[in-house]
Amino acid sequence: MPNITVTIAKQTYKSTFGNRATLVLTILLGLSLCLATYVGWQNFRTQNNQRLHYKNLVREQWLSKPDKHPHRMAHYGYLAFREKHELSFFDFGIESFAGVSIFLEAHKQNTVNFSEAGFSNGMLRFGEISIAMVLQLLVPLLIFFLGYNSISAERKSGTLKILLCQNVSWKRLLWGKTFGIIGVALTIFIPLILLTILLWASLSNWEISMDAALRLLILIISYSAYFFVVSAITVLVSAFQRSSKTALITLLSCWIFFAVLMPRIVQAMGSKIHPTPSKIEFADAVSADIHEQGDSHDPNDAHYAAIKDSLLRKYQVTDVKKLPFNYGGYIMAEGEKITSAIYSDHQRKLNETFGKQNSFTVFAGLLNPYLSLKQISMALTASDFKTYVNFQNQAEAYRYGLAQKMNKLQIDKISNISPGEHEKPLSISKSNWAEQPDFNYKFDHLNHVLAHESLALISLLFWLSAVLFLLQYAPRWIKTI
Amino acid sequence: MKKSTYNLEFKLFFRNHSAWIGIIVLLLTGFAGLYFGKSFIANQKAVIEKAAVLQKKNTLENIEHFNKDIGLIFFHNKFSSANLPDQWAAFANGQRDVNPYLISVTMLAVEGQLYDTDINNPVSMLLGNMDLSFVYIFLFPLVIIAFTYNLISEQQENGVWSLLKSQSNELAKVIWQKFLIRIAAVFTVAFLLLVLAIIYLQLPIDTTLFAVTGLIVLYLAFWFAVSIFIISLGKSSSYNASALVAIWVAICIVIPASLNLLLTQKYSVPEALQNVINQREGYHEKWDLPKEVTMKPFFEHYPQLKKYPFPADKSFSWFWYYGMQQMGDDQALKSRLAVADKLAARQRFTNIAALFFPTIQTQLTVNELAGSDLGAHLEFQQAVRNYHEQIRLHFYPAIFQEQDIASTDIKTVGLKAFMIPKVQDWSRLLPLLIWTLIFSLIAFKNLKSNALIKNAQSV
Repeated sequence: MPNITVTIAKQTYKSTFGNRATLVLTILLGLSLCLATYVGWQNFRTQNNQRLHYKNLVREQWLSKPDKHPHRMAHYGYLAFREKHELSFFDFGIESFAGVSIFLEAHKQNTVNFSEAGFSNGMLRFGEISIAMVLQLLVPLLIFFLGYNSISAERKSGTLKILLCQNVSWKRLLWGKTFGIIGVALTIFIPLILLTILLWASLSNWEISMDAALRLLILIISYSAYFFVVSAITVLVSAFQRSSKTALITLLSCWIFFAVLMPRIVQAMGSKIHPTPSKIEFADAVSADIHEQGDSHDPNDAHYAAIKDSLLRKYQVTDVKKLPFNYGGYIMAEGEKITSAIYSDHQRKLNETFGKQNSFTVFAGLLNPYLSLKQISMALTASDFKTYVNFQNQAEAYRYGLAQKMNKLQIDKISNISPGEHEKPLSISKSNWAEQPDFNYKFDHLNHVLAHESLALISLLFWLSAVLFLLQYAPRWIKTI
Repeated sequence: MKKSTYNLEFKLFFRNHSAWIGIIVLLLTGFAGLYFGKSFIANQKAVIEKAAVLQKKNTLENIEHFNKDIGLIFFHNKFSSANLPDQWAAFANGQRDVNPYLISVTMLAVEGQLYDTDINNPVSMLLGNMDLSFVYIFLFPLVIIAFTYNLISEQQENGVWSLLKSQSNELAKVIWQKFLIRIAAVFTVAFLLLVLAIIYLQLPIDTTLFAVTGLIVLYLAFWFAVSIFIISLGKSSSYNASALVAIWVAICIVIPASLNLLLTQKYSVPEALQNVINQREGYHEKWDLPKEVTMKPFFEHYPQLKKYPFPADKSFSWFWYYGMQQMGDDQALKSRLAVADKLAARQRFTNIAALFFPTIQTQLTVNELAGSDLGAHLEFQQAVRNYHEQIRLHFYPAIFQEQDIASTDIKTVGLKAFMIPKVQDWSRLLPLLIWTLIFSLIAFKNLKSNALIKNAQSV
């Protein structure tokens, strides 16, 4: 008799909207959501346009540089800007805490600078209102308010006994109430998703990619699953608690613990157990390794002396100045290769440390559906840590390519005889600069994202199956009176 | 008689499980806040100590390495500055995780180096620090709500109310007694944690302590006032709990977060990106221009350096090189000031918002008192700029004359530690006081009037 479930669901849905207070609350939340969506979307456009503006400016300036020595160009370097994914207006994730621009030059790896957080006077610490934030934090709270008395009120008024006598099983009652409440949540969620799709399509200039469409689809499914979990928990708590008041207090305490306390404490533990090295220690470790491998600036260095000897032997010359190519460029290319490999190795280890810190939060997702959804949401909207690391890696690869390109130009096109103190410095034509392509950041493919987020996805699935199981089998433990 | 009723109320309160749970939650999170807050700052202090050692070590290495070329030594040698944490920074970590507390700069253009960030995990910054100020600002209000939401409604729901009403003429007094017990309990925990903080974080007994204490007292009083205001409306326990939690969510999360979004939108800082570009172009373009273009404004900026002969005929000289670097900074001056203006506008916006929302006010004030706010960091940045200038002017003559490095005192330059003076703005407490008074007065009026009793009868 599934139509009883439907009847209960309809009844719950209607009575929820019949209540003026909840109606007002729901409308208020819906309105603030629309506002958040609009401002978030505008914010996205402003910031992304700024970044694109400077990206184009940097390219223009690079191409307009006059004839000069390629090593000057290697030091002039490039500025790379972290573009936002068009879905990131849905979930800001770590966006505001991650840097925006990085200066890429020869010999030196710089930090990604100018995060929004760096300009913040502390307000940011309260959080940022985004669609994701409202859906993750506030909609569950609304669901709690809507459903805390869904069963307990029936119990108090005595209608529960009547219902159960009239051939309505506990199972159907729980399912019906859950569907009724999730119906209310979806009343807010569905128009919002439609708005999101519209704004997202406009951000992508109405050229929707399959990858982004799939991202959004999985996002919608994940959020729906999350709302189902929260609604079911609400109904179950309401069924298990003796009074509406205790049900409400239990739900609110859970919300505070899972949404406010636990994320901070878990991440703080991760950072404490896997400490981040300081920048100076990091730099010191890198330079110690470079020193060990060989220092291109040191004329007596064994590694470079061996290279020199082998080159002299190979080309049958007595002096590096007689080599058929630019020796300085060759040595710099070798130095860049060594230092950048060492640096990348350290950077990889550092990111592994960060990964270990974050793994506390990932594992906590098994205990906390909010955290698992948060991970999934950030990953799908490309506002997560992995996307940031990807950007860093791509920027570093670009930096390395640029430095080596300039070294190659020097090796091939610059004379091996350095000019005298008062002579004009050597240079090559500016037409060479266009050979270095612009920096274009590429977002990770969805397959990789899903593979990386498998634990978070499993956590959410686990929660979904747990509540499904409870809705089916919990009735035997519930006391009717 | 009066004392005995207090005793009874006292026993009644502590017989309640939720009272103990609330107190234990505050104490445990308070301990966690103290521990994590302290270890966060202790780590920064340890790094600053290491930096002092590395400063000397790196200088000696650079001298040995580039011995023959003084210009090259200064090209590579970094001078580190530290923003020493105030003892109170362990109480409120503030923005010290986001903003670098150690800035190392060479003598090259400072604008290209000043904004380099520290190594940090953006996820940790997103989820926020766990320090004691977090417990006071976010968790204490929740416990206050939990302690008070059913103060009157519980009596009504249990049916004790009419009994009470018939026995006592002064209902307000009964409520007041119950309320006082809860205030006493919360403030005892708050002061206990504060005393523990003074001992564990070795906080000095100074005006900051008084300011922080005043701030916490007013902030907690504000939440008590809000609570009693809501319960004075005489609604059911569930209504009170919902309304109070909704208020908490509104002024602890939703409103500040919305205002922040508005702030970022209204005062976005593209000038910072422009600044990097200006500095980079200002320096690099000079390589392809006549030396005159660099040296004329350079000598206008530093007439005192004119006396050193400039080797104009050489295709490269360190004199010219450092002059070009200086041009990077000089040409970025306008955009740098534009960034500062933007940040000042942001601060004004936030200060106005803080007048209306005690949570924002308390957060800003406690960070300001702990010297861990953006203002302190900007002061530090300025201090580094001044220090950089001082270093430049000190070593320019030796470089421009290509002297032997041994003739300079570079080896004696250690880590420069700055203790940024803190701001103590007592007027920030005033809005808190006003809001507390407003809510208390309305609540008092409600309790005095018959409305409550009428409501009670209808329940």
